[in-house]
Amino acid sequence: MKALSLTALLGLAVLTASCDGLFGGLYDEPAAGAAYGFIQTDPDGLGGTLRIDATSYTRWNYIDLLHQRIDTASITLGQDAPPEWDFALHRYDVKTHGGAAAETPFDQVGVASALEGLHFVSDADSQVVIDMSTMMEGYLGYASSEVNPVLSTWLHVDQSTMPPIYTLSNKVYLLRMADGSLAALQFTGYMDDAMRKGIVTLRYRLISNL
Amino acid sequence: MKRIQLSLLALLATLAATAQLPHPDSIRIDPRLLDMVVITATRTPKLIMDVPVVTRVITEHDIQAADATTVQDLLQAELPGIEFTYSMNQQVSLNMQGFGGNSVLFLVDGERLAGETLDNIDYSRLGLDGVGRVEIVKGAASSLYGSNAVGGVVNLISRQSTEPWTLNLGGRTSSLDEGRYCGALGFHRGRWNSLSNLQYTHASPVHLSDSGDMRTIYGNRTFNAKERLIYKASDRLTLTGRAGYFFRERDKSAEAHDRYRDFASGLKADYTFSDRSDLMVSYAFDQYDKSDYTLESRLDVRNYSNVQHTLRSLNNLSFPETGTLTVGGDLMRDYLMSYQFTDGGNHMQYTADAFAQWDWQPWERLNVVAALRYDYYSEASASHLSPKLNLMYKLPQVSLRAGYANGFRTPTLKEMYMNFDMANIFMIYGNPNLKPEVSDNLNLSAEWAKGCYNVTAMVFYNHVRNRITTLWNQELGGMLYANMAPVSITGFDLGTSMRWDNGLGLRLSYIYTHESLDEAGMRSSSTRPHTATLRLDYARDWRWGRSTLALNGRLLSSVTCDEYSSLSDLSQVEERTYPGYTLWRLTLGHRFARGINLTATVDNLFDYRPDYYYSNSPATVGRTYAVGLMLDIEQWFKHKDK
Repeated sequence: MKALSLTALLGLAVLTASCDGLFGGLYDEPAAGAAYGFIQTDPDGLGGTLRIDATSYTRWNYIDLLHQRIDTASITLGQDAPPEWDFALHRYDVKTHGGAAAETPFDQVGVASALEGLHFVSDADSQVVIDMSTMMEGYLGYASSEVNPVLSTWLHVDQSTMPPIYTLSNKVYLLRMADGSLAALQFTGYMDDAMRKGIVTLRYRLISNL
Repeated sequence: MKRIQLSLLALLATLAATAQLPHPDSIRIDPRLLDMVVITATRTPKLIMDVPVVTRVITEHDIQAADATTVQDLLQAELPGIEFTYSMNQQVSLNMQGFGGNSVLFLVDGERLAGETLDNIDYSRLGLDGVGRVEIVKGAASSLYGSNAVGGVVNLISRQSTEPWTLNLGGRTSSLDEGRYCGALGFHRGRWNSLSNLQYTHASPVHLSDSGDMRTIYGNRTFNAKERLIYKASDRLTLTGRAGYFFRERDKSAEAHDRYRDFASGLKADYTFSDRSDLMVSYAFDQYDKSDYTLESRLDVRNYSNVQHTLRSLNNLSFPETGTLTVGGDLMRDYLMSYQFTDGGNHMQYTADAFAQWDWQPWERLNVVAALRYDYYSEASASHLSPKLNLMYKLPQVSLRAGYANGFRTPTLKEMYMNFDMANIFMIYGNPNLKPEVSDNLNLSAEWAKGCYNVTAMVFYNHVRNRITTLWNQELGGMLYANMAPVSITGFDLGTSMRWDNGLGLRLSYIYTHESLDEAGMRSSSTRPHTATLRLDYARDWRWGRSTLALNGRLLSSVTCDEYSSLSDLSQVEERTYPGYTLWRLTLGHRFARGINLTATVDNLFDYRPDYYYSNSPATVGRTYAVGLMLDIEQWFKHKDK
């Protein structure tokens, strides 16, 4: 028994001679390589899951829920938004296409089922950060833009500590588009499995009648 | 509050003064120290009284008395001049008399540890279960240990089983919802000696305040398992095998946890040619990984792995009435994969060294130890010669020591090759052209010991060149690793300890540290100039067991330093003062018959809370309580045998 123990230890030590280490099979590969866009669609085609690469500070990502399209436009190059979109994402800032948004008490997009008591808020003039490279010199680069103040509360970023503390609201928001149609949105993630910030995941559900 | 503290101190002083002092003939040196053999200062076993380098030993008794869960708790309780604080992202950072975590070499049974975060090893790997003693040698020691031994060496040494078999089971829980559970199984029979340790700890998140640099301390769990098996193959040959696994998970956010793993193993052969010559050869493996665990996807993605393989030999040759020659060498392969490298890539380097030490006793009273070591680092294409010279002159009851030692720290793979986007705010760039940090350490000390009293005084001077840090580089528009202007660290260290036959013991230690840049510039050091520790303990045997009472105190002065208010304009500096504080811990223990040990602890006895939680404030929410139980199962059977 004792000899077996020593042999086991000896064997273990020899096995560990793997030059670049062990545990290769213990870990997962990041799913960061997975596709962006509408990565999952409900059977009825009215809802699903979106993953958006919002890592760039200089780009708006325009989402068209009905046609399941995502287009991008550079802020610094002055590119125009596509003709059809419902809401847009820049890092963690959100704006609507002439619509409004309200926070609901629901915790799943599928149960957003009543409008009573909801307070819809339209977009407001604001600024978004487009250049972080000068932060250490005491200032940031901004661009003027409309931002929806309700939808943009989906993530609270506390920058008083380093690194910042990110807190998801986990709320379901109702997006009322310019034509009066509704969609429920719930943001579920702000980074990928490799911890890269700015990879935004959200659930959505188009609502035909409330 | 101060009145309470003063009252308690007065009470303790009265206790000490009125303690029934033994007759001078009966007083004696604490037997725990009289036959204490230490190894760290010279890499050869020597009685602590005969070592020409001041070596501080924390014994197993001290570890139990301090009721410490982590090595941070233990070192801070026992030694002044040591401060563990939180740095960015709540990573633990060490300051030991002006030296940071990458300038103090931590060893476990003489083996260095893989992995680091923000220049500090993972101290939570260093569980205290199974540790027989901790040896601390302050000052440079690169002539024996190579890189990183700039400010000191801390060596945790495992205990060996001496009983035919032992089984210890224990648990500790605190009012902060922290827990520590451990088990140790040992046996010593014939040629075999084994010690197995298991430890699990958990800590819930602790909310400190709604504002401040620190707000909530993350919850975490650790698991540590280790086994060491010794086989005495013959009177001349001893084989040692060891293996250990460590896991830590930190609840960093609601979405993701940080995970840390380590696997360490090793084989060692000790061969005694004669009573004048022995040889040790060993192989050590250590792998430290970090990964991010995403709760929603349940993906555990590794983003850091440091793998070290080390071959070592050490040979001692004794020459009668002359001295001992120690020669040795190491060959290490150091592999590092990191998220801080371009595309999460990896780098590797070999290091090789050879050293020799001559321990010479020309006269009965004089001991001279001289050593020289050559280190080569392949990736940095750097080499370094590290000399040292230590003298000790013994008078009746007084030992005088003087020493010079050179220390160095070679640039790490991280410091040479980092290419890291810091939270989309700025880049940090490595610098392959970095020079090694080099230090010259001088110290003088006197130790007086008589009976149960011991007083030690030491002055030290360190001159550190090319210290490696990150500086803003306007050209790159980011932070760049660079060598900085020389730094001088001077100070003195006073300590006294006494132990009477009536069970009362007292130890006081104080350190003054002054750190300054040689060139005119900002006072960037946040090293506290005045620090002290106190321990008063009392033990008494009763018919129903043995009771112990220990009071540990830490006293830290305030420190004022300059901090940049604008990193782009280095002329914009503001002065900041971090307040001083004291923390006290009272531990009451009782050992019942049949190996049942109960411990009750009041931590932060005087309910200190910082007004504002700076990163170097103690992460305390005030007074807390803990209880612990340890069962020495083998004692139950001994009792039955009787």
